[in-house]
Formats: sequence, C-alpha cells, structure tokens
Amino acid sequence: MIRAENVTKIFTGRGITVRAVDGVSTTVDKGQVVVIIGPSGSGKSTFIRCVNGLEMFNEGHVYIDGVDIADRKTNINKIRAEVGMVFQQFNLFPHKTVLENLTLAQQRVRRRKKKVAQEKARALLNKVGIAEKESEYPSRLSGGQQQRVAIARALAMDPKVMLFDEPTSALDPEMVGEVLDVMKTLAREGMTMMVVTHEMGFAREVADRVLFMDEGKVIEEGTPEHFFKSPQEERTKLFLKQVL
Amino acid sequence: MTGTDRAWPWKILLAVILIFSAAAIWGSVKRIDYQWRWYRVPQYFLYEAEEPIKIPFDGVVEGIAVSGGDALVTLVSEDGEKQQVSVDNETVRVSQGEDLFEGDTIGYVYQWHAGPLLTGLWTTMWISAAASVLGLIIGLVAGLMKISKNYTVRSLAAIYVEIIRGTPLLVQIFIAYFFIGTVFNLDRNVAGVGALALFAGAYVAEIVRAGIQSIPKGQMEAARSLGMSLPQAMMDVILPQAFKRILPPLSGQFISLIKDSSLVSVIAITDLTKSGREIITSTFATFEIWLVVAAMYLIVTSILSQFVFYLERRLRVSD
Repeated sequence: MIRAENVTKIFTGRGITVRAVDGVSTTVDKGQVVVIIGPSGSGKSTFIRCVNGLEMFNEGHVYIDGVDIADRKTNINKIRAEVGMVFQQFNLFPHKTVLENLTLAQQRVRRRKKKVAQEKARALLNKVGIAEKESEYPSRLSGGQQQRVAIARALAMDPKVMLFDEPTSALDPEMVGEVLDVMKTLAREGMTMMVVTHEMGFAREVADRVLFMDEGKVIEEGTPEHFFKSPQEERTKLFLKQVL
Repeated sequence: MTGTDRAWPWKILLAVILIFSAAAIWGSVKRIDYQWRWYRVPQYFLYEAEEPIKIPFDGVVEGIAVSGGDALVTLVSEDGEKQQVSVDNETVRVSQGEDLFEGDTIGYVYQWHAGPLLTGLWTTMWISAAASVLGLIIGLVAGLMKISKNYTVRSLAAIYVEIIRGTPLLVQIFIAYFFIGTVFNLDRNVAGVGALALFAGAYVAEIVRAGIQSIPKGQMEAARSLGMSLPQAMMDVILPQAFKRILPPLSGQFISLIKDSSLVSVIAITDLTKSGREIITSTFATFEIWLVVAAMYLIVTSILSQFVFYLERRLRVSD
C-alpha cells in the first residue's frame, strides 16, 4: 500500500543544511498499522508529511498503491484524496460548521451531491460520537471533539490509508483517550494506518510494526513485542527508558 | 464599578468641548464679517425649472382643455397632423383658433431637477463604486501574485505596488488622462476610474497578501491533504477566512477611495468637489458650499462604515 524507498528530506537555510529525513525506507501493507516513535526533532513528522507529498523530499521515492507520488505525471490531488491525514493541530476549517467541514472536500473533490455527502458525514460523525454537534462551529468544540471531527473529515473521503501526525499531542490529557479509542476502532476495522505518536500504550496495543526514528534515520524496526521487550539498539533502549 | 457607571461626566465634558469649539469658530467667522447666505444652497440640491413648450410645426390651435392646474392644448398642422401638449394653465400663451409658426411658445411646464450638488454626488458615488470593484479585482489578483512561488509573477506584482504607492495619486491621474488617455484616446471618465482603481488596487494587494499570510499554514495543508487543488483550497478555505480578517482595513481603503475620488475633478469630471467649485464661482457662497460638500462626503463615508460594521458582526458567528 505504502512503499517508501530511501526518502531523504534536506532543509537548507542560513547556510545550515539539515538532513531531517535521511534515507528512510519502509512499507505498510494493506490493513497494517505502523507506528513511528522517536524523540522530537527525529524527523518522524517530516517523514509522514513526505508520504502524501505535503513535504517534497529531495531524494528517494514514495509509492502509494504502486504510484510514484513525486512523478511529474502523477496527479498529487488524486493521490491525496486516497490518503487521509490527521494533524496535531486538528486544522479544522473555522469558518465552516462541523458538517460543512466534512462535506466540503467530498463535494469539491469527490463530486458528490450535497445530500449524499451530508449522509456520509452524519454517519461518520455518529461513528466518532459527536453527531449532535454537526451545526456547531469548530471553535465551540473541545480539543478531543475537534480531533475526532478531523478524523471523520479525513474518513469522509473514503481513503485507503490514514496518516496520523501526532494526533494527541495537542490535547489535554483527559481527551487523549477518546481520540485513541476512535483510532483503535479504525485499526480493528482493518484500516491501513501510519501513526506518528508518543502514546506508547497505543503502539503496544494496536501496532503491527513499530519504527523508532532518531536524527532522520530509522534506528530500529520490529513488532511491538520485540520492540518493547527486547530492543537491540542502545538509542532505543535509552529512549524507552526515558518515556516508559 | 465599571467604566460605564460613570460615563455621564465625560459625556458632559465632551458636549462642553464641542459647544465651545463651535462657538469659537462662530466667533472667529463673525470677526471677518462674512455674509452667510444659506438660502442660496438648497437650489443646488433640487430646483424647479421652467421649460418652454414649443409647437413643432406651422399650424392652428384647435382647442384648449383645462384640467386641474394643467392645460391640454390640441394643435393641428397644415397637413392635418394632430398633436396634444400639456402646459401649466397659468402660462398658456395662445388662444383657440390662433395661427402659429414652428417654434412658437405655447406655454411652460415646471419640473423638478437634481441640482449640481446631487448630480455631483451621484458622479462621485458611481466613480468610487466602479473604481472600488475594479480595485478589488486588481488587488486580489496582485495580492495572489505577490505570494506566488514564481519569481517573475511575484516581482511584477511587487513593481506595480511600489510604483503606485510611491507616486502621488494626483500625478497618476494626470498621467492616466493626459498621457495614457491621449495615446489610447480614452474618455476622461475611463481615465479617472482607471487611475483610481489602479491606485486602490495597489493598497488592496498588500491588504490581501497580509490577510492570506495571516491564515495558519495548517489550513492550506488540511485542504490540500483532502485532495483539493490549490485554487479550490484558496476559494473555499483560505480566502473566506482571509476576507473576514481584512474587512476592516479593506473598508478603510474604500472610504479613502471615496475621498480620493475628489481628485478626479482636476481632469474636469464634474464630481461633488468640482460641482462645489462651480457653484462657488456663481454664488461666492464659499463657506456654505464647502461645508455642505464636506458634510455630504461625511454622510456617504459614514453610511459605508456603518454597513461594514454590520457586516463584521454578521461574519463573527463562527468565532
């Protein structure tokens, strides 16, 4: 489903060159949940943003369903419609109601009729447990509710893959659970997911594979079993000791 | 205790200051012995004109029928052609059976006409409105060009903005009319509206650019991540939010434009300011006319700013 080959992203500015992502390769098969963990500044967010082309990488390839996203002939908008993304800061459209947030791209990109889009939106709001807020504006919702709307907004496009970029990092602790629950449900239903997170419990419970990144590189990769019980690399051990 | 509890002493102070200022102005004017002639002003808003009605052919007055204050005069030409005209009853100059030659006056009608102050105000308003709409379009395009990734596009917009903002509007109007207008044979109204629109556009471009850049980057990313194209994301996500933010500076710009439109009087467009000048040359009521003209500009700009205020409150629902 997702295949990343040797992805490298270089940031240059004021004479300094930073290899934020340095030759990362991985694959996510259909129905798999891959969790990426690592200290801040390790390039994990930059990497996941490369996967749907929000960040254009300097070297390497990313294939979504076999299509090279950096190819000039690829219609990136078409790819992105198939790849849902959830952001740390939710990024709901503040000038639109919850329902409109979910219907906008359905109508513009999927060319669905308003009625059809609204039905889809209502079903998804029901699924994430905020059906009663459909006519509110996002500013009236709590962080956890906003993030659940953001997940529903991405799901409304019927994506084949979902990318989560630290979806719970901006939330108050008591709201983390409600968002993780929605993500767990998705995983159980067989959604293909790539998740950047600091939630070790989620990684242990849901992930098929865990990637540990530091300084732009994948340091260690394996099943949660292997990863949390018997990590091989020194840096992984150190990191786990700090967060667990 | 809140501030509003004790607002009345300050209101009284404000009233005192205003009354004192008015009295001071009044006193100063008294000293220079100016003859106020306010009674001359109303006719420049509306006046009743006497218009002669003339016979269009050589012929005979067949009959005169009076109804109310009007007289209906029936005329028959030498060829037997019949025509009826209506004139004011008290001004009928002809009698039944009288022979008339083409161009003879039958009587007069009285009609209300808009005076130069109203026609001038109308000119000012349509010139400002046309220039605002054009300026908004130019500014939107130039503003989007300024944030383009392409160097050439970005630079073109920057050069336009710099040239317009760095030269006086008065000079721009002269160039638009006497240089560009001569080369392309432009009507003075086109040159005037064009110059104002280009001038406003440069400022609108900066406002639009700042407005778009004030929207968090995540909004564009969220829209693009859903598969929306750049134009779609701009139209549906970025611009509506930016518009809400730039409404106050934008309305300020258009209020300025209404006032700046007074400069087109230098290329002989009879706007409110030029009408005022023309009236003064025939009445010498300098003080009265300029005060009235100022008040008329003030009324128009106040109405506009009230409307924008209302619009802002309407748009605030999603905050």
